[in-house]
Amino acid sequence: MGSMFKMLSIKRPINMLVLINVLAFGLLFFYRTPFNFIVLYVGGSILALSVITYSIIYFNHLGDEYLFLIVSMLVTLGVVMLCRLDYTIGIKQVGWYLISICGFYIAYVIYRYISNLEKLKWVYFGLSIFLFVATILFGKNIGGAKNWIVIAGRTFQPSELIKILFVMYLASYFSGDRKAIIFKLQEKYLVSIITYIYMGLLIIQREWGITLLFFMTYFVLMYIYEADWLLLAGNAVLTAIVVTIGAMKLYHIRVRITNWLDPWSDIANKGYQITQSLFAIAAGGFFGKGLGLGSPGTIPEVHSDFIFSAICEELGIFGGVAVILLYFILVYRGIKIALILPNGFDKCVALGITIMFGLQTFIIVGGVIKLIPLTGITLPFVSYGGSSLVTSFISLGILQAISAKGARV
Amino acid sequence: MTNKRIVNILIVMSLLFLTLIGYLTYFELALKDTIAQNPFNKRQWAYEEDTVRGAIYDKSGTVLAKSDDTGREYPYGALYSHVIGYNSTVYGKSQLEFKYNNLLLGQDELSQAFSLSSGKRAGYDLTLTIDHGLQSLASSRLGKRNGAVVALNPKTGEVLALVSKPDFDPNSDELTKKWADLIESEASPLLPRATSGLYAPGSTFKIITSSGAIEKGFDGGEYTDYGTVTIGGKTFENYKTKAFGKINMERGFEVSSNNVFCTLGAKLGSSELRGISERFGFNKMFDFDLSMSKSRFPQKDTDDAGAAALGIGQGEILATPIQMAMVTSAIANGGIIMKPYLLQRATNQNGFVIFENKPQQLYKALSPEVAGRISNMMVNTVKNGTGAGATIRGIQVAGKTGTAENEQSVKQKGKEHVWFVAFAPAEDPQIAVAVMLEYSGGSGGELCAPIAKELIEKYLKK
Repeated sequence: MGSMFKMLSIKRPINMLVLINVLAFGLLFFYRTPFNFIVLYVGGSILALSVITYSIIYFNHLGDEYLFLIVSMLVTLGVVMLCRLDYTIGIKQVGWYLISICGFYIAYVIYRYISNLEKLKWVYFGLSIFLFVATILFGKNIGGAKNWIVIAGRTFQPSELIKILFVMYLASYFSGDRKAIIFKLQEKYLVSIITYIYMGLLIIQREWGITLLFFMTYFVLMYIYEADWLLLAGNAVLTAIVVTIGAMKLYHIRVRITNWLDPWSDIANKGYQITQSLFAIAAGGFFGKGLGLGSPGTIPEVHSDFIFSAICEELGIFGGVAVILLYFILVYRGIKIALILPNGFDKCVALGITIMFGLQTFIIVGGVIKLIPLTGITLPFVSYGGSSLVTSFISLGILQAISAKGARV
Repeated sequence: MTNKRIVNILIVMSLLFLTLIGYLTYFELALKDTIAQNPFNKRQWAYEEDTVRGAIYDKSGTVLAKSDDTGREYPYGALYSHVIGYNSTVYGKSQLEFKYNNLLLGQDELSQAFSLSSGKRAGYDLTLTIDHGLQSLASSRLGKRNGAVVALNPKTGEVLALVSKPDFDPNSDELTKKWADLIESEASPLLPRATSGLYAPGSTFKIITSSGAIEKGFDGGEYTDYGTVTIGGKTFENYKTKAFGKINMERGFEVSSNNVFCTLGAKLGSSELRGISERFGFNKMFDFDLSMSKSRFPQKDTDDAGAAALGIGQGEILATPIQMAMVTSAIANGGIIMKPYLLQRATNQNGFVIFENKPQQLYKALSPEVAGRISNMMVNTVKNGTGAGATIRGIQVAGKTGTAENEQSVKQKGKEHVWFVAFAPAEDPQIAVAVMLEYSGGSGGELCAPIAKELIEKYLKK
């Protein structure tokens, strides 16, 4: 009886998840008449999925128990917002959540029980290039960017998967001896060049957000592992020069910068999306309009890149800050896992994944609130979209496996 | 080593997240209101449709603006066009309708967080510090002449009357009909002269010059006034080149001798004059209920001739009428300028006070002693000087006239701006007034003092 009571205490994070889920979906259910029971099924499904997965992790000691908890809170908030915007995409997102959890376990098992993953450096590179080429050859143009592949009637965004491959590639390089000389070139220079090739291929697909994310991730890992400060500085200077020239010559970069500095002068066209986002955040204030009471539907792409604006409008800036803090503790847990590991492949992969989560959040949240220029990228675990959600959970599965290994060490 | 760098990265990531949170907070506190009121914001349209906009009252409850299903109505037409402004679906919002849009729509954080009721919402009603009787009188006495009248309570900063002419009818039908004329007219009827018009203050500025002279101990001595004076190679004339013979500074103030004040201006110098002007609020801004222009005292130091011109309120000094009313209330209130304000309070549907304004000290311009000396000089100006037109039986009025040269008057006589500033009763001031007629010619004593007199009389004898 006592332990039963203890299980129900609000102090256990899983109970907070249950509480938020019940309150939010209950509100969505009662707010609109006629009552839409599907909303309750959606809420029940994601709650069941989260609780079961959490229990499996918790009772079988599969490593850090908080990683999944934090993320399932983010997914819950995401699905709540998606159901509120359009319950049909809420249902689809639950489906993706189920697939994502499978991906999470598969990644966990593969990473945990297959050894020598650090020796597959060129496999990661080759796979990435294959995916790039496939996208360029068979890609479908959706929303101005040719970055989708259609498989069996389903669209799929290869660049999301390349994020993981890129981290694995960098990790196998940084954790190796780094002494190889290939084509008369020291490998450290080759890695820089390869990173720029990745970025170039992403720019061809108009993936500005992921391009920026790749560069920042590479730069951070280089800062941690590279003893050659000149290389670090050289990369920084080179990028600054390229961005400056690009900003002057390239229409796509210039538009992003002018739109960031002053979206108001072309509010009806180029500035439309970001200003709609700002209107939404301004409408919310500190406390928010309340779930279902705002009008986030006016923002184009609100269900994917701009979901944070919708959260700010309806749950307020306090709600938005809560989401940011969830990412913050996710990054904190990830870095903590990396810190206790000995130098090696696992440590570097954990760092790469964690840094990518953190930077991706900064890039998109900063973009939609107009702190930095807007570059399209999803908000991990919250935005609608199968590729993004599945990939994020595969990354999380790897991080989970690393934490389990770390606990054993 | 690696771990140390990893910790550094954790710190950088924390800072990035903190920046996000900090910027969101900044956005909420500083940017939100302007963004929310952008005419392209669809949310605002919807919200306004669903809200009965709050009414606006004068200090004793006279309805100055109200809303019903057909739209916004201004019962007094043009009278409050430069105070309340307009609220039009086509032309947007101006003045108080713009500034307090959120209150008028009942849009504040708490109401938003707790409102669940459906149906039409009600905005908050605003009560102003304006005295409707005084406002009407000031407007009718200006009549068709261009100019401005500002009346303040010097002890609190309450704005009792704020009139700018020409004005316009802000009711939406009239606005639509006349909009093209309004924006093209050379008389700029959309310019709120009282708060945004900049004019040379002329001899009313001698209040500030005298303050400097008293503080610096230059107030003694005698002057021989032949009607003109040449300083630094430049000759300055008295009004109508009148000669006053042997006079002291006090008498020079009463008769508005340029001889005396050009001499004092040169003696004080431009930097000293700038310092004291800035204590009265020149070259400074404060957050008034309406947007206003900054009154200017030139930043560059000048030679003696330049300083002499500054001493009589000429030479690139520019002041808004409300600024000169503030200078006057500094003298009335023992050297302290209270912050002018228009909005007294906002109340919700049930009469619950949402917001209440309290008097605040804005600037300390002078010591009570210096203010008292100037006050006596202003009383004598009305008793036996240029301000005789403002004499009221049984009430001691303190005043100062001004006639200011401007870009038109240098080419054509009879285009000067004329001023009169006053407060009363001198022993316990209740009201401070500034009256200005632009490009009117004549003298402040003849044209403006009677208007100030009537306003003071009405306000004190009601």
